Amino acid sequence: MEIITSGKLTKVKSRHEPGVSKQTGFTSPATHYLEPTIDLNQELVVNRDATFFVRIDGNAFKEYNILDRDVLIIDRSLSRNFDDLALIIQEGEFKIQRIPFGFSEEGEFIVWGIITYIIHSAR
Amino acid sequence: MIALVDCNSFYACCEQVFRPDLLGKPVVVLSNNDGCVIAANKEAKALTDIPMFEPVFKIKDQLLAHKVNFFSSNYTLYGEMSQRVMNILGTFSPNVEVYSIDEAFADLSGMKKASLNKYGHEIKDTIFKNTGLPVGVGIAPTKGLAKLANKMAKKIVENNHVFVIDSEEKRIEALRWCKIGDVWGIGRKHAERLKNIGVFNAFQFTETPLQWVRKEMTVVGERTWRELKGELCNEFVTQPPPKKGIGTAKSFGIKLPDLERIEEACAYYISEVSEVLRAQKSCATYLQVFVITNYHSNVDEQYSNSRTVTLEIPTNDTFKLISAARKALVEIYKPGYRYKKLGVNLTGIIPQDYVQGNLFHQPSKLNHPKLIETFDAINRKFGKATISSGLVGTRLHEWELIKKERSPRYTTQWGELLSINSK
Repeated sequence: MEIITSGKLTKVKSRHEPGVSKQTGFTSPATHYLEPTIDLNQELVVNRDATFFVRIDGNAFKEYNILDRDVLIIDRSLSRNFDDLALIIQEGEFKIQRIPFGFSEEGEFIVWGIITYIIHSAR
Repeated sequence: MIALVDCNSFYACCEQVFRPDLLGKPVVVLSNNDGCVIAANKEAKALTDIPMFEPVFKIKDQLLAHKVNFFSSNYTLYGEMSQRVMNILGTFSPNVEVYSIDEAFADLSGMKKASLNKYGHEIKDTIFKNTGLPVGVGIAPTKGLAKLANKMAKKIVENNHVFVIDSEEKRIEALRWCKIGDVWGIGRKHAERLKNIGVFNAFQFTETPLQWVRKEMTVVGERTWRELKGELCNEFVTQPPPKKGIGTAKSFGIKLPDLERIEEACAYYISEVSEVLRAQKSCATYLQVFVITNYHSNVDEQYSNSRTVTLEIPTNDTFKLISAARKALVEIYKPGYRYKKLGVNLTGIIPQDYVQGNLFHQPSKLNHPKLIETFDAINRKFGKATISSGLVGTRLHEWELIKKERSPRYTTQWGELLSINSK
């Protein structure tokens, strides 16, 4: 048999945390079912070393659902795919734009990183 | 094979990652108190009349004339970006020796020679893509040669920041190319002496008889000589040895004439160094304190002095150290001068478990381990100097360093994130 593709095994996100009951009376029935609390860093950040947080000042990117004071999570390590929302550098300035079809880095702008999440305060 | 990966003009490039308007422009970074230029990118270096380590006030006109962009040093940012680079490098090699803030050796043994160049480019491209920081990669059989390969990677344009020394011809080529003064481990003095006996490049150095090298340049020189010949002498050090001396010396934001505020600064610096001492689980035997006036000033009277004290029992207790430092400070302080800088140094450092008591003092009775532990825990959780000795005072902002041009701490402070202005 021929192996056509090979890839790295993806890490299984650990959702197990062994613990002992801290209750003085009846032992907690949850003892063997404990899991760590949801951690946004774990959920929203895949590659910590390539991830940056950026604050938006103003409403110019409204068309992308990005509003004033929003925080963007940006992963620089991701490959640039068509229609990805990206922070780009054009003429020495930061802008936000979708990646056009057939985009190459030699084009008219440089991709700084791919926007993965938009954090918006509801208050 | 061993790779030496280092960041190009690291401090300046860290600034440029978040400032695309400065790409391709001259950028310099100033020392802690904005006193002198400590780093410059290649555009700034190209303006050859800007000397490094020169006091800023002497070259300010030059900097302004060339429209050089300058930043106060932002070590919080540089340290964090460095960690990212090192982590990424760790995905390419199981064995990484972090040599300095911007350079590391990576063990590539077991890799096929034919694929090393490609791997070097992969390392370079990944670090650049993920962090925005440009690096150079030199790959060779020894650390000494890897350093040399790294130089060739950067200095020779065709190499495109990656160079592999994987054959005898390439090794000789590299050695002939490298000036003796640029060899890793050969200082200026030795370089001068070697030039006097007709050794001008690294190749000629390896042709020098080993006896001469051993006699004139000790075992360090011999190791350099052997490494350049391709013999592995400098092993990987992944666990740095505990520091033999821990110190800090910083200039004040303003010149301080009064003892009281200098004492506060002293207590603050002691808190900083004793924290490091405890982090590496060691104690100090000697404590040195020194003060200096501004020697660049031609108006002020000049004075400097230092005092070293032997501690009763080696300690890492902030309070013990502060009181010892105060005594030393009072001895050397002279009124009537305007002090610019204070320094503290801890030496005679031993593991805390080896501290011996003497006839009069038992180490356990002298320290307040629980209190100090709590101290450290609070500061770890809530930030530097959340809690400190009362002797530090509350006037930190008055004598603290000037960091007028410091960039935001983009990666560590929620309130200082990179901000995109959309007009």
